[in-house]
Amino acid sequence: MEKILLKFGLGVNVNEKALEAARKSLEAERLGIDFVWVSDVPNGLYAPIVASAIAAKTKKIRIGLGLISPFLHTPAQIANCLQTLYEAYGERFELCIGPGDRSQLRRVGINLSQQIGITAHLLNAKKQIRKILRRNRVKVRIWLGAQGPKLLEASRLFNGVLLNLAHPKLIEWAINKVGPVKNDAFEFGVYAPSYVYRDFDPNIYKLLRASAAVVALGTHKTILERLNLTEEIAKANRRLDAGSSFSSVLAGIPRRTVELFSIFKSSSEIEQYLLEISKMKIKHMVFSYPQNHSEKTVKELATALKDHKRKHA
Amino acid sequence: MHLLLDTVFVRTPSVLLDIGVTSGMPLKQITKLCKIAQKTGLNHAWIGEDLAASHDVFTVSSLVLLKFSAINVGIGITSPLVRNITTIARASASLAEIGGDQRFRLGLGIGGLHDLRTMGISVRYPTNLMRNSVALLQRTWKNETISFKNENFAIEGYRARYDTSYRIRVFFGVRGQRLLRLAGEIADGVILSGPKTYLKKAISLVKDSLKRNAHSSRDFKFVVWVPTILAESPKDLNLVRQIVAFVLVDTPRQVLEMAGLDYEQVERIKEVYQRQGMKKASELVTEGLTDEAAIHGNPKKILEAFGTIEKLGVHEVVFGPPYGVDPEKAVMKVSEEWKRFS
Repeated sequence: MEKILLKFGLGVNVNEKALEAARKSLEAERLGIDFVWVSDVPNGLYAPIVASAIAAKTKKIRIGLGLISPFLHTPAQIANCLQTLYEAYGERFELCIGPGDRSQLRRVGINLSQQIGITAHLLNAKKQIRKILRRNRVKVRIWLGAQGPKLLEASRLFNGVLLNLAHPKLIEWAINKVGPVKNDAFEFGVYAPSYVYRDFDPNIYKLLRASAAVVALGTHKTILERLNLTEEIAKANRRLDAGSSFSSVLAGIPRRTVELFSIFKSSSEIEQYLLEISKMKIKHMVFSYPQNHSEKTVKELATALKDHKRKHA
Repeated sequence: MHLLLDTVFVRTPSVLLDIGVTSGMPLKQITKLCKIAQKTGLNHAWIGEDLAASHDVFTVSSLVLLKFSAINVGIGITSPLVRNITTIARASASLAEIGGDQRFRLGLGIGGLHDLRTMGISVRYPTNLMRNSVALLQRTWKNETISFKNENFAIEGYRARYDTSYRIRVFFGVRGQRLLRLAGEIADGVILSGPKTYLKKAISLVKDSLKRNAHSSRDFKFVVWVPTILAESPKDLNLVRQIVAFVLVDTPRQVLEMAGLDYEQVERIKEVYQRQGMKKASELVTEGLTDEAAIHGNPKKILEAFGTIEKLGVHEVVFGPPYGVDPEKAVMKVSEEWKRFS
């Protein structure tokens, strides 16, 4: 059997209680998941505090802070969060920065559409964060959360890239866009809404469909063009901007977005998917909301991954 | 000039004693001091935001809340000029959740003049800024959908998706007369700092505002945070003078005038501080200034000073940095003395 060195992560839902997220993370740790990732979104809990609650409850699971946006927080503020967590809980943290969700940021006064030089801003933020952390002897890998061609190319200057994509063909396209990387320690990762199940629950599928739609709504135009989704997604975004409810907009978003932007597999199907993406240099796989919906869904994922690890150890 | 310290403290203080730390202090020291605070039964830990430091004030607060279940925690203070107001709202809600049982308070203010200048931030219409900030925080915590635009904010169709059911008390850390009046109008409490004569006038201003606004003064809390130094030998007074010089540099003219201090004298100290540093500036600090701007002495004298502050209607006093030549020993000594009398 081929040896595969995939690391597995669970995305934390920052709309649920921090202590609940910590409890599920403890379960994930117990079940052998390697990472939890805590994203910082403007309408959710403050990710560094959720990360702190998780670190206090767990012992060894690695904790990713991010995606966190340097357009919402200054590089010094982001570095200070990492510094505090690192000093308090040890060398267990990773950082992923990226532009963030355009629609959410616009609601809190940050308009990325009017922002010139997004890539340069992120590179500068990384440089400043790294400088502060180095000065304080904090060892943290910095990932870039990327989707569009410019950011994918810029990700070579980071320790890794987290691709907000799920379909193997899209992942392959993104890896090619990153191009040759000189840094041997560079890692490719995938971060996608997921539902890996043993007992299918239609309610969780509904959550997955909504999460995949959210990713589609924020997807880079180059990818939408490739997928022939430009018009439908633009229309959905216009309706949202005009104040339509998300549930009514969701009905107009093609169902194939689930396959393109999320991982929807039974526990027997996931093995094939993991084999396919691991052949494409992917080393880090993060299963995000709604996979962490309950301890049961975390357990279903962990069991499937354990089987995979056992086969390929 | 020394109105507060003239009276002798003769009874057990009912005012609560809090510990004050800043996000710029080493985490190990914050932890040690909070451990002493919890052990000696202190009430609350206030965590000041040091903008030049390398720790995040909200994350530090989470550590204290998670590690020390018997003490309450407050941010004292953060500013809407250095963070998006929705970030302050959700960070506060996150702390309220992990702390539970109303253990968290948010201190809000404009921020230190020196820090803001360093960051290139200018302050226009501070009263409007604070009024709007509190309104936005409260609307966020009521889970309203918010749209609000002016020169400081551009919120459009924003709604929190986290649990907003926690009651979060907002304390003002402000100094000017208009902001003090606003505190009496819309805040749950005020954290006051400054020369002692100023404190007396500031408390009176807030109380007038509370009356005028029919604010339930029963729930309103006055907190006083004055640099406190355990000074048991004459050489400890050097530290006291240095801290007073440091504090005066960041004290606005309006506060100095309310305190009746010689503005020219303070300006000379500021000039020397900027040109030659804190140590040299401290040589210009007189006994009158140290008595006005700091609490210092042996544990008994410090407790007397706290007791005198209580008589102004203050509910909590904060034993904050620099504490003494040996901070942990100083906090332990004063807290033990406090425990003995209360």
